[in-house]
Parts: sequence; C-alpha cells; structure tokens
Amino acid sequence: MAWLDRTARTIFLWDFVMGFAVAMKYFFRPKATLNYPFERSALSPRFRGEHALRRYASGEERCIACKLCEAVCPAQAITIEAEPREDGSRRTTRYDIDMVKCIYCGLCQEACPVDAIVEGPNLDFSVETREELYYDKARLLANGDRWEREIAKNLELDAPYR
Amino acid sequence: MAKLIIDGKEIEADPTLTLLQACEMAGAEIPRFCYHERLSIAGNCRMCLVEWVGSPKPQASCALQVKDIPPNRDGTPAKINTSSPVARKAREGVMEFLLINHPLDCPICDQGGECDLQDQAMGYGRASFNRFEENKRAVEDKYMGPLVKTSMNRCIQCTRCVRFATEIAGVPDLGATGRGEDMEITTYLEKAIDSELSGNVIDLCPVGALLSKPYSFTARPWELRKTESIDVMDAMGCNIRIDSRGREVMRILPRINEGVNEEWLGDKSRFVWDGLKRQRLDRPFIRRNGKLEPASWAEAFAAIAAKVKTIAPAKMAAIVGDLAAAEEIKALRDLMRSLNVANLDCRQDGAKIGGGPRQSYLFNSTFAGIEAADAILLIGTNPRWEAPVLNARIRKTWLYGNLKIANVGAPRDLTYPVQQLGTSASVLEDLVSGANPFAEILKNAARPMIIVGAGALSRADGAAILRLAAQLAASTGAIGPAGNATEGGWSGLNVLHSAASRVAGLDLSFLPGAGGRDTGAILEGAANGDIEFVYLLGADEIDTSRLGKAFLVYQGTHGDIGAHRADVILPAAAYTEKSGLYVNAEGRVQLANRATFPPGEAKEDWAILRALSDVLGKTLPYDTVEQLREKLYAELPHFVVRDVPAQHVGADPAIWNAVGTAGKIDAARPLASPIVDYYLSNAIARASETMAECSRIYVQRSQEAAE
Amino acid sequence: MALVEFFSSLGLPYGWAWVLSQGILILVLSVVLLVMLAFLLLFDRKVWAAVQMRRGPNVVGIFGLLQSFADFIKFATKEAVIPAGANKGVYLLAPLLAFVLAMASWAVVPVGPGWVVADINVGILYLFAISSLGVYGIIMGGWASNSKYAFLGALRSAAQMVSYEVSIGFVLITVLLFAGSLNISDIVNSQGPDIRGWNAFGILFPMFVIFFISALAETNRPPFDLPEAESELVAGFMVEYSSTPYLLFMVGEYLNIVLMCAMLSILFFGGWLPPIDIWPLNAVPGVLWLIAKVVFFFFMFAMVKAIVPRYRYDQLMRLGWKVFLPTSLVWVILTAGYLIVFDRLPV
Repeated sequence: MAWLDRTARTIFLWDFVMGFAVAMKYFFRPKATLNYPFERSALSPRFRGEHALRRYASGEERCIACKLCEAVCPAQAITIEAEPREDGSRRTTRYDIDMVKCIYCGLCQEACPVDAIVEGPNLDFSVETREELYYDKARLLANGDRWEREIAKNLELDAPYR
Repeated sequence: MAKLIIDGKEIEADPTLTLLQACEMAGAEIPRFCYHERLSIAGNCRMCLVEWVGSPKPQASCALQVKDIPPNRDGTPAKINTSSPVARKAREGVMEFLLINHPLDCPICDQGGECDLQDQAMGYGRASFNRFEENKRAVEDKYMGPLVKTSMNRCIQCTRCVRFATEIAGVPDLGATGRGEDMEITTYLEKAIDSELSGNVIDLCPVGALLSKPYSFTARPWELRKTESIDVMDAMGCNIRIDSRGREVMRILPRINEGVNEEWLGDKSRFVWDGLKRQRLDRPFIRRNGKLEPASWAEAFAAIAAKVKTIAPAKMAAIVGDLAAAEEIKALRDLMRSLNVANLDCRQDGAKIGGGPRQSYLFNSTFAGIEAADAILLIGTNPRWEAPVLNARIRKTWLYGNLKIANVGAPRDLTYPVQQLGTSASVLEDLVSGANPFAEILKNAARPMIIVGAGALSRADGAAILRLAAQLAASTGAIGPAGNATEGGWSGLNVLHSAASRVAGLDLSFLPGAGGRDTGAILEGAANGDIEFVYLLGADEIDTSRLGKAFLVYQGTHGDIGAHRADVILPAAAYTEKSGLYVNAEGRVQLANRATFPPGEAKEDWAILRALSDVLGKTLPYDTVEQLREKLYAELPHFVVRDVPAQHVGADPAIWNAVGTAGKIDAARPLASPIVDYYLSNAIARASETMAECSRIYVQRSQEAAE
Repeated sequence: MALVEFFSSLGLPYGWAWVLSQGILILVLSVVLLVMLAFLLLFDRKVWAAVQMRRGPNVVGIFGLLQSFADFIKFATKEAVIPAGANKGVYLLAPLLAFVLAMASWAVVPVGPGWVVADINVGILYLFAISSLGVYGIIMGGWASNSKYAFLGALRSAAQMVSYEVSIGFVLITVLLFAGSLNISDIVNSQGPDIRGWNAFGILFPMFVIFFISALAETNRPPFDLPEAESELVAGFMVEYSSTPYLLFMVGEYLNIVLMCAMLSILFFGGWLPPIDIWPLNAVPGVLWLIAKVVFFFFMFAMVKAIVPRYRYDQLMRLGWKVFLPTSLVWVILTAGYLIVFDRLPV
C-alpha cells in the first residue's frame, strides 16, 4: 500500500504540486527585505560604521595621540604621528585610517581612553576611488562634527552596559 | 656565606649582598622603584617588601643586608617569602599608596609602555578598587634644562635622579624639598642640570616624571624598531640602542656594557639624533662656476676621475674624519695606495701618534681597569667633555676608593677633586725627574694611570710629550705585568682619543707613506699649491681656508665645514645608517648595525669608494661589505674578535721605549683640551638643534659668566 | 505573402521582393523576441525573488523594468577576456553558434495562424535538428576555453542534453501520431477548435509532463542545471567567458527556454488557439494567446527553479534513461494502439 501511495505520488508529481503550493503561499507574503536606500532598519547603538574623531563641547579635539588605537588595530589601518602642540599639549599631527584595510572590529574605540575615535552609525560612505577611502585627520574630525549628535546618543544608550 | 631559605629554596649568599640581590639569586623577582644597582640604597619606595618569617613586619629587601639576617633560634636558616600573601598584600598596599597621588595620564605619558609603575600596577594594583575620594596632589613642573622634560605630578619620590646627579654625575643640582605628600624633586633655583650625563635620569626615572624633551610625544616604545649599535660621538664606543620608526631615528638609548659605558650615555650621544635629519647631503654635488650644483653619481665620479688623471700622485692627499668606520678607512686607504698616493692621514687634529706598536696609542688600562687604579695623572685632557662616561667612572672610583687625581693642563671642574699640577708641559719633566711631589704618589701607587689626551698630542711637541709620559710611566712602575687589571696585569700609560675613527685609522695605518705628508703638511702644501687634490672622508675639523686652490672631494653626511669648501660632494651614510666596525680607545672592536637607511641618493661609504675605484680604473677587490671585512680580518686579525679590549703585553722595553719621540717641549704653551664645545664637536652635533640649544645654555652661558 | 505582393507591386522582381519581405519578417520577429526576452529575464528574477520573499531588481526603471537593458549595456561594454592558450577562433565562434542556433529555431515557430517565417512541411524535424546542434556550441566553448573545468562542464552538459533529446524525440512522435503532420501549424490546427482538442488533456498528458521535465533538462535549467551549478561550479562550460561572448551564451540559453515554452504551448496547449472558442476570446489575436501560454510556461519554469532542489548527476541520468525513455517508448506504442483501436488516425 505504501508502495502504491509512493508511486502514485511520484507519477502525479505530488511533491512538485505541494511545493508549488507552498511557493505560491510565500509568493504573496510581504517582503522580508527592505527597499534599502529609502528604507532602513534600526541600528544598534553599538553599530560599528564609519569612523569619526570627536571633540569636546569646547571644540577641543579629544584625541591625545596615545596611539593605543594604532597599537590595537589588528589590520594596522591606523597611522598616527604626534608632537607637542604650541601650548605643550600632546596632539596628533597626523591621524590616518585606511578604510580599505579597516575590518570594523571596533577595537580602536574600545582602546580609546577619551572616546575620541568612535565608529559612528554611518554605514553608507561608498566612494568612487580608492584614494577617497584613505581618511585623514581633517576628514575624521569633520565626520565627528557631522555625526556628533548620533554618536553621543549612542554612547549614552550603551553606557549602562559598559 | 650565609644561608637563607628563599621561597623554599635554600641558597648561600654573600653576607654583603642585600636581601633583594639574594632573592634575585634565588630566582625570585622583586618589584622595585627606588633601588638601582649602580646607585646608593635609599629604601624609600617600599615596593620590594618581602616576608621574613618570624619578623612582625614585612622587610624592605633592598635595604636589608644578608649579614643582618640571623638564623632562626633553632639554628635553621632564616625563611624569606617573596610571593606569600603577606608580601603580596604589603606590596599591594604600597602600590595603592603610590597610586593615590599618581595621575592616571598614561595615555599622554611618554613613559607609557615602558613604565615600571605601569607594569607593576598590572601585577600589584587592585583592580576596580578605589577608596580615595580626595583630590590628587598637584606639583609644579620644574625646569631641568633643554634635555629633560618634567611632569612632576607623576613623581613617586624614589629619588633615583637625585642620587644619580649627586653620586654618578657629580653635580648636586637635584634635591628634594618638603616631606611626606609635599615632597618635591627640584633643581636648585630652576637651574638646568649642569652635567653631560643628565639624560641618564630619564632612563632611571621609573615613572614618567623625567622625560626626554626632544623625543616628547613623538613615538611610543612599541612602534620603535630597536637596533643595537655603537656611538661615535667620542672615542669610547659606548654601546647604544637606536630606536627608529620607519626611516627616522626617534631616540638613542644606552645598552649595558660593563666594560665600556656600564649603563650610562653622554648627552651628546643620546640627543644628537635630530642632527641626523638636518643639513643632510642627500645627493652628489659638483661645483660649477663657483656654485655647488646637484649632479648624478656618474657625473660626480666622472668629475673626480677627470681631475685625478691630470694630477700626479704626489700632489694628491686624503684625510679621514672623526666618524669613519674601519671599512671605509680601509677602502679609502686601498684606493689611495693603488693610486700611489702617500699623503694620507687619519689624524685630522694633527696628533703626533701612531705608526708604532699598538700599545702606543691605546687606552691600555681599559675603561674597566680605571676602577682598579689608585692614582691618575691627566695630561692635556678634559675627560668630562672628551668622554663623559669615562669621567663618571673615574668619579665612581674616586667616590668608592682612595683615588688621587692630578691634572696637567687647563683646570676644569671634573666633578671630583683634582690636584692641579700646572698647565705647562714642563711639569711633566719635573715629574720624570721626581721634582714634583705627585711623582712620589704615582710611584707609591699600586696601579697608577697616566692619561694623555688629544690636547697634548695634537701640539707640535705632541710626540715629545708622549715620550715624557712613557718615561714617567716606566719610572713610576705604571707598566706592569701582562694582562688586564682583573688578571693582575697593568699598563698605566693611556691615550684618550677624542675621535671614534682614530684607533681604527691607526690600526689600518692610514698614515703618511714613504715621503708622504701628514695633515698639517697637506694643508700647508695645499696652501702653497704643492697639493692639488684632497679627498676628505668626513673630515670637518680641519681649517678649510688653508686648502688654497686644491680640488676638494668631500665624502660625508652633512653640509658642514668640509662640504662648504668642496668641489665634489659625495653623500654618505651616517653611523646609524650603515653597518660598520668601530674600534674604541681601548682597542675594542665593536659592530654597529644599521638602524635606518641613508637619505636620498646617499650611499654607504665603502660602496661609494668601491664605485669610485671602478671609475678610476683601480677596482677594489671586494663587492660586498662581508668581502671587505674578510680582507680586513686577513690584514688585522684582532678585528675578528669583537668586544674585547686590547690585551696588555707586559713591560717589553722594545715597545715602551719606542713610544713617542724625544724632543724639546714647548713649555710656554699651556696644555688644553682640543674640545672647545662638548655639544658641537662634530658635523652631526653641529646640525642638531638640540645640541645647539645645549651649547647655548651650558657652554656659552658659562663662558659669558666666566668673562 | 502579403508583403511579397506589396513589394512586387512596387516593381521589384519576385526574388528580391521575397528576400526583402522575409528579411523584414525576421527582423520584426527577432526584435520582438529579444525585447520580450529582456522582460522575461526580469520576470524570471522577480518570480524567484518573490518566492524567497525578496524584491528582486527594483532600481533600474520603475519596478526594475530596465534592469535587463542595464545588464545588456554592462555586458556589452565590459572587457572580453580571452584566456591564454584558448583557441581564439573556436572560443569566439562557440557563443555565436549557440546564439544563432537558438535564433534559427524560431524560424519555423508559428506565432499565429500563418504568422511564421518559414512554414515548412518538416518544421518539427527542423526544430529537432537545430536543437540537437545546440550541443556543439557548448562542446566548442568548453573545449576552446583551454580549461579543464570548462571542458568537464561541457561534457556533462552534452551528455545531459543528448540523453533527454532521446525521450523528447519519442514524445514528439506521440504528438505527431495525433497530428499526422510534421508541419507545426498543422499540429496546432489538429488540436482545434478549443481546450477539448488540446493534446495535454487526453491520453498525451503524461507525455506533456515528460516533455516539460525534459525541456528543463534540455535547457540546463534547474533542477537539472548541474553543468552550470552557479553556486559551486561557477558556470560549467561558460566559466572562462565574460562580457559579450558570455551574453550570447546566456541569451541563447534563454531563447532556448522560451522556445521550449513555445513548444509546450504548440504541441500540447493548442498554440495560438483560444481555450474556448466563443466570441470575446476567439476575437483576440492568436499571437496574444500564444504569448500568454508562453509566459505561463515560463512562469512554471521559474517556479521550478525556485522550488525544486538540484538533482544529482546519477539521478539525472537515471531519470532520463530508465524512466523517461521506457515510458515514452511505451507511450508511443500505446498511442499508436489507441489511435488504431479507436480509429482516430488523422487522415
């Protein structure tokens, strides 16, 4: 009987018919994907996107050239050079991130003692040439200025879990 | 020998050792801040606490001598625990105290990454534990000169710097004021530390309170490539470690070599590195119509070859400068000999030395041998400037022993008491004849030393002075049996050179050949037209105005005196940029490794000479530096064994009677050191901004004050 | 024929008028076919995406309608890489052959009553011959690539296509038995006037199923896409191809798929005939009925791709040789017997 059942199913392509029914059921289901550039999913406060160098409210840059991010960077994407500024404080003269090398692991922001280098919520920063992905200090500081509100909010939201 | 049980391990320790040293013998690691092997014991940081079973309190192991630890009542050896809960808790308490007032600014501290406090806080700090709500103390930063940057908030009052300045450097400029929390390390009236060894306090400081000013904020220890090398600022051949990042030398630190520099380094050697980046010759130049114009290597070589063809060998000359390594001296000598040039000299200061046995131009007692000496006569030398680390060793010997020191020459503050015998060389005649009372002291001394400096030798009567010194050494018994001081041998006649290349040049007999001229005669010949071609291998300390119309080829690193006058400039590698053999004043052959690459088109010196020899049609028989060294070893076997000073061969009259030449001495002219400014004594130092600043503060100001 | 007369009336000799009119017919058919193909490609991707709850291409044009044209521009402007050591002539000829053969087979396909470029008497035979030739494009491409992977892919592909052609041949015979003609238009007309006469709804239904499945295998469509198997074998015989040559292969393949859809409609679903021969439906031009049927079958092809997992190679061969071949052979005899016993032989 089982043999008959199986043979009948085979001959009448029962599996295919049932599969077709299932496929058609999903065919008209709402889409699981987002219409990306126009719709976006929610990002975690811990999302690790494009890097930014932050400033204090006074406008003073936070980075103190301790080079911990450079040391911890597993991809060796960060290059820092430093010297004393006129006022004697320790500042970077160069802060480059090679965004092509970067693996967005977030260790730099974990290492930073002053929350200067952070990975902001920006995830679409595609460019047309490779050179544009070699970020320098001015670019990173500009990122910081542009994304400061979101970054500060994210840090605040994440603070209780640290 | 006293018995101790340290961490369950029974050891026999010398009773004069400290408990800390005994613990280290037993293999235990004792954390410490104030204790340092080469400084007196202060016992004020309390980090080295260990548990002495039976004692009511933990003991500071650095301040407790083994002989002060009696056995237990039952006769068993005393038990010491270095890692028991008691010791650990004690150290954790000390660490907590230290950290109360230590700022948490490791990220901006240059010591970060090589900080004793940082490291030991990892071991003994109490994580996430803080019971101090009070403000940290704030201390004003002190001025300590152009080399040492201070950040006194970080000071943990270990007083290593104070002890170093007082004991080793011999300048009691540092001290502590106040007590308890208010204790501050300070200089006397905000004065710069007036010592050529001031940079060593940076290494000694266990935290980031004393830092290198020129290095500040520029690099982190973990990103530096460390290369072991040899210093060329003086003839001591101090062992150094060159820390470089990419193509740049970021700093220079001393390496420990008990035979040479212990663990100290002079300020010039330590801070000269910014001179390696400025005023560099990075491409060949040819003088056209009175102006130096950039050229290619081929053009420069062609210009030299064209000139060499037209000039007879007798009208050509070559002088080796102060910073050359043995390789290029040999290459230049081989090239010049193949051209039949006899006018060679490696003594650009005109010292009347060399040509004789090796003992006649070495520091025969060896530097380590100074510690065995009991009387020293300085002749025409200022060791404080000519070899500051050597001076520190003399001071150390004086401090811990019964050393009598006398000086013939200009009086200087050498950081230890010196009996001033006069400035005229005629004093030496009195000493030889016994008329001077110090002759008696020398004679009675078991191991007397006579140090003849470059200031005495570079005079016209230098050879006569050297002969007098040799006679004095012979008559006072300064030349004893063979071997070094530890082996019971002794040779007290020493020549202290002022240039790193000098001994190698003399070893390779880069000296006037048959009928050849020495430096003075070359200059004279050039002035009156007898010499038409001069090759300078980094020789910058000659009077170029006396070169007349001679065609000058300068091979060197910096646009300094020699390069300004040159007709063809061949850019070469500085001592950090090439692998080279250097021979220090005591005849010790040492290898300097390459830390960085020469700038622009500059090449290693021997390779330039090899390429030039090809153009001149006299190709030198070596293509690699290894082949060159093979040839060098074949010629001078003592170059094979490195880092060993020349052995004293005993009182062989055939050697010692041949030292110097008898002659009349110029009694009217006072003996003086040839170095007028410690900080600006060579081309690299003259290019350095740091050295210029030091010279302004330490040398010129004191000269002004003297006037 | 109307065109020939039109051109003749303009004073052209008959021969020239015929050539001209055929040329215009071919051009119109090709353009319509390729434009339709562009949208079918998008349709394919959209169906597949919908089953997987994705959106599919939706950026180029509204609803991504221009996606295929963008892809075309991309393919056409990319660099054509010819591998070192490849036989250049054969390498470039292979995709051309695949494409031309795929186009050529459309010559005998009637898209409406009398709407056919070449209404030859042996249309089915021609079609069968041309589609057999398609194997050569694949073999040539795989061999000329000078790559063992391409070559192995080509061998597999050829073996698969040859295997299923056998059963397709027998299926065709059953249909021909009913139609009594090799002319494709006659085959369609024999199924008139409405759904009751369609071959699929009678004794030939199992043959329709076998033909459908064999068509999948013949065109290397999933679940029989193991020569290509893009997820693991990259692209089988096409692995070394890029740019326009690759485009030609791909268009050729899709043309074959659409051809198979058309064959399914013509052989089993009455071609251009309306399902019910009543007024509003039989007023609709036949070509639209055919297109509707083709699109329906194409949808089925796409759905199969979306829902059926890929066969193993031995399963593929077993199905072809041990199931379809005996079944279709038996069915030829059964059909012939049925026709004789019930005296239904076509005149």
